Amino acid sequence: MKYIIPLLQLIPIYAFYLAGEWLQLFFDLPLPGSIIGFLLLFVALLLKIYPLQWIESGSRLILAFLPLFFIPATVGVMDYGELFAGKGMWLIVIVIVSTLLAMGASGWTSQYISRFTDKKEDH
Amino acid sequence: MEFSLPAVLFAGLTIVIYLVANILYLKYRKTLLNPVLTATIAIVLILLFFNIPYNTYMAGGDWIAQLLGPAVVALAIPLYKQRDLMTANLLSIAAGIAVGVIVGMVSGVLFTKWLAFSEELVLTMLPKSLTTPVAMQVATGLGGIPSLAAVFVMTAGFAGIIFGPHFLKWLHIDSSIGRGIGLGTSAHGLGTAKAFEYGPEEASLSSLAMTLSAVIGSAIAPIVAWIFL
Repeated sequence: MKYIIPLLQLIPIYAFYLAGEWLQLFFDLPLPGSIIGFLLLFVALLLKIYPLQWIESGSRLILAFLPLFFIPATVGVMDYGELFAGKGMWLIVIVIVSTLLAMGASGWTSQYISRFTDKKEDH
Repeated sequence: MEFSLPAVLFAGLTIVIYLVANILYLKYRKTLLNPVLTATIAIVLILLFFNIPYNTYMAGGDWIAQLLGPAVVALAIPLYKQRDLMTANLLSIAAGIAVGVIVGMVSGVLFTKWLAFSEELVLTMLPKSLTTPVAMQVATGLGGIPSLAAVFVMTAGFAGIIFGPHFLKWLHIDSSIGRGIGLGTSAHGLGTAKAFEYGPEEASLSSLAMTLSAVIGSAIAPIVAWIFL
């Protein structure tokens, strides 16, 4: 039973994913089905339509392998070897610098505002 | 989805290499040994060595890539369990994500333009901090190259997980909210996978940031392109 329950709980996760994909296709939404499925499941949990314990161990199982699922897409870099030779190398530099700017700006803003509001609550 | 011996072989190869890469990472805990990075390099080298095109590999690789969608859905559970943290910090979370999405898009567009790359490449660079499927759709909509957009997204993810932890420390961003929002907004799913190593608060804040930046990002991408091009 220890292994069967998490495996069975992959079924509702997949069902929410399919529902998201279907909604995306049907209404031609600009968001990918997976993000729509994510929002559907989150709302279903918030409204207590779907109980947490019927999906929690399944989510722990699939999320333990999250990094694995990126690998086939990242291997796609091999098709762009030529572009990144010469001047194209700067594109990599741009991605790195711009990513760190975005990370610093968002992290700093969130931290600053949360500390500011925390302090105000102390008084 | 075709069922063939090479497909089974390539899917199996990916899983085995990932498990070995993960064991190496857990043993030495060095950032450069990140299992996604080392496994990607190992697979690329194997494919190049045996002269196997990427499309042939994807017959099996696609089986594994198909699981990314359901895994993104499953991120709703850690987020739900941290919902009190989220509602208590609604303003700081929303502001951080909005600022990060705009800074990421505008800086990427401006740098690419300043170095005189083609408009097509500028538009491909624009959505790089969004999660792969969204970035590919946004790039297509704007007139960029979707497959190259996926490469930029992955590079952004690697930049985030390799340099991010030191960079955040250097900027004194040391709260769970700062780390989680920073990683998820700039480095999407890879950043979120990294955020799991900090703790459950960082992980759910990062998955929230990844989701919201995908929603906000797909809405403001055409506006950024319109202003800066």
